[in-house]
Amino acid sequence: MPLQAYLILAALVFAIGLFGVLTRRNAVGILLGIELMLNAVNINLVAFARFRADIGGLVFTMLTIAITVAEVAVGLAIVIAIFRVRRTIEADHLDLLRG
Amino acid sequence: MAETVGFWVMAVVLVGGSLGVVLSPNLFHAAVLYLPAALVATGAIFWLLESPFLFGVQLLLYAGGVVTIVVFAIMLTERLVGESIRQSSRYVFNGAVLAAAVFVGLLGFVVQRAVPPAPPAPAGEQMVALGRALVGPFGAALQLLAVLLVVALLGALYFARAED
Amino acid sequence: MRTGSPALALLVLALPAASFLVIGLLPPLRRAGRVAAAVSVAAMGGALTAAVIMWQAARAILDGPPRNPSATWSWIPADGGPMATVGVMVDELAMPMCVLVTFISFVVQVYSYAYLHDEAPPALGRYYAYQSLFAFSMLGLVLAPGFLQMFIFWELVGVCSYLLIGFWYDRPSAARAAVKAFWITKLGDLGFVAGIVMLWAATGTFDFWTLFGLADTGVLAAVPGLSTIMFLIYLGAVGKSAQFPLHVWLPDAMEGPTPVSALIHAATMVTAGVYMVARAFPLFALTPDVLSLIAWVGAFTALLAATMACVESDIKRVLAYSTVSQLGYMMAAAGAGDYHASVGHLLTHGVFKALLFLGAGVIIHVFHTNDMFRMGGLFARLPWTGVAFLVGTLALAGIPPFPGFFSKETILAAVLNGGFKLPFVMLALTSLLTAFYMFRAVFLVFFGRAHGHAEAHGVPLAMDGVCRLLAAVTVIYGLVLAFGAHHGEAPAWLPWVSMLVAGAGIALAWATYQREAIAPSRLSAALAPIDYLARRRYGLDALYAGLYRIVLLGVSRAVGWVDRYLVDGVLNVLSAAALRAGDGLRRLQTGQPQDYVYGVAVGVLLLLVWAHLTS
Repeated sequence: MPLQAYLILAALVFAIGLFGVLTRRNAVGILLGIELMLNAVNINLVAFARFRADIGGLVFTMLTIAITVAEVAVGLAIVIAIFRVRRTIEADHLDLLRG
Repeated sequence: MAETVGFWVMAVVLVGGSLGVVLSPNLFHAAVLYLPAALVATGAIFWLLESPFLFGVQLLLYAGGVVTIVVFAIMLTERLVGESIRQSSRYVFNGAVLAAAVFVGLLGFVVQRAVPPAPPAPAGEQMVALGRALVGPFGAALQLLAVLLVVALLGALYFARAED
Repeated sequence: MRTGSPALALLVLALPAASFLVIGLLPPLRRAGRVAAAVSVAAMGGALTAAVIMWQAARAILDGPPRNPSATWSWIPADGGPMATVGVMVDELAMPMCVLVTFISFVVQVYSYAYLHDEAPPALGRYYAYQSLFAFSMLGLVLAPGFLQMFIFWELVGVCSYLLIGFWYDRPSAARAAVKAFWITKLGDLGFVAGIVMLWAATGTFDFWTLFGLADTGVLAAVPGLSTIMFLIYLGAVGKSAQFPLHVWLPDAMEGPTPVSALIHAATMVTAGVYMVARAFPLFALTPDVLSLIAWVGAFTALLAATMACVESDIKRVLAYSTVSQLGYMMAAAGAGDYHASVGHLLTHGVFKALLFLGAGVIIHVFHTNDMFRMGGLFARLPWTGVAFLVGTLALAGIPPFPGFFSKETILAAVLNGGFKLPFVMLALTSLLTAFYMFRAVFLVFFGRAHGHAEAHGVPLAMDGVCRLLAAVTVIYGLVLAFGAHHGEAPAWLPWVSMLVAGAGIALAWATYQREAIAPSRLSAALAPIDYLARRRYGLDALYAGLYRIVLLGVSRAVGWVDRYLVDGVLNVLSAAALRAGDGLRRLQTGQPQDYVYGVAVGVLLLLVWAHLTS
């Protein structure tokens, strides 16, 4: 398959993940969207690593996977903490930054 | 040939799973069914892109670890089931428009370049090359990653501690 | 022509200036009133001496072309010669004027010392500071070599007038009169400054000698709009010399102390307009239409003011209207083309009008009132004062051998020779009225029954002595003119006609007020319409007050409205808009992270678009 196919696929998944981040009410749902976006990035990286014979792409992918996992862990810990305090994790209700 | 078929099958699964993650009213379904499907499909694509090691990593960390964490989080919080898409999602139309716009924008960059020829598959053990790269040119990044993981661990511990 | 020494002229200028600076800058000196008075009087005496020496020592240049009588120093430098110069111009016109100004200032300052005897010393010091400043300003005006310096001192003289009229500033009427004087003369000054600037724009110079040269060579005559320029310059004289319609400030200026009225509203400041016309006469000669306007306005002013003097009961106001009337005479002569007659009358009038005012000061001091109808029978008590006042009155009425007769003769001759028939009749009629109202005053104050209560103690020597001195000077002046050189071709019947007219006025006054053969009320009934208008000052004061209220206050209210609602309004609208915009933009911060993600996504989209467009 040509490189463009993978890139288009990755862009599509990225857009879908963005859609999820923008629309999901539940905080966990938002995090799922973020997951998809990061996944799409990984596909991009590996595709370029393959098509340019550059090992850096794979290293990069590994690093991002590790970071993503850490981020999910911390992020969900925050969500649980919020839930404990406010008894809700609906994004509409978490508006303390309101101006 | 086989690669093409494999690609299309995995592509369909990936996109379908992604749509399911973002559109499913039932968060549990989204997290346990659709998300792992998408992640495994991504891993398969990695295999198709001649990096089986990353396929393994993807399955272990993403499809295994991340999904588990998400399930835990869902369990510890309420309101996982909504009746309709309107209850579980907000401003769907706006979001769809914006996401589509971003997709189109990215697409514009992708299609305007000429198709580069695919170089031959890299020879030699990929694992060895990866290992050498990690401790060689990317050694600093590895160290920083380690620090990051420790910090993240501590942070998660702090956040998830029992009330005192 | 005779020119004087510039060094002496500068001394004449410097002495009063130094006196003003000393009194002004040393508060202890000023507060010790009498010392300030002594300084000022001494300086004035020195200036008088210098002026007299300067005049007598003027070198006679019998041959050769006329030389520039001025000594100037550059003031505002510019490319191609200085833009403005200051200095002194000491010619035959300036020198007698200097002597008049210094002499009258000197006697008035001596007189004031007694007149203002019961003023607090700080006030007295302030008075003498103003007097010194006035003397310096008037001399600077007289000696000015160009329009710019003349204008500066013109304004300075106006300021001194304001300060001295409003000397008793805690009296509302005095304060109002000072402001009114300033305003009305300022109206004229607007024209003056416009005129001299336009003249400078056309010729590039303010300097009189240069302008006279340009007039001689015909360059000036070719300047377009010269009539307008000279008319505007004349407007300054209209204001300063109280010509119709800007004469209304002079009667009200009598709120100031009587010596002030004698000095600046009889002899010197008000004559500055006449002096200016005489000084700039070579320029006025190029615009005969402006000159005839000057003559007509002068004659009309003379007649108008004389009618108003006939119905006044305040002795100072009678003298004030008389001054306006005589200024009209002077202007009429200048307009008719003979500025020597004008200046001649200026000099004689300066002496005898000052005498009359200072005499009036004595009268007021004795009776403690200005109202003539509450006086009477003073001649028996103060015969020498009466004689002095009578000398002044005869001079003003134009009876030979007093100087007023000769100077009026030359004026009437000039007007007649200039072909101004109706102005001549007006001026002749004014002579009759002048004699009438002056002798009316004399009969009411000095003769007849004593209505008022006269002061028991005598008149201070300073006041009385000055009056007698001025009377003596008047008589001597008259004799000098009688035996001196006559000039001007007057028809033979003119002196007899003017004596007849003056005699008729005196007879009418005698019949009405002394013998009471004619009742004043019947006289006013006979001339009812004029009498009515004259008593109301022809409505001019009311007109000015109305104009001021409507126009000036109206304009300021409009400007204030614009400032409050438009200027401030714009600012208020801008700030309110900023506040409202801020309020609106605040709603952008919903506090919900997904909205911020929207923002980020839109930003990314814009970046993509931009990258597309620039790739």
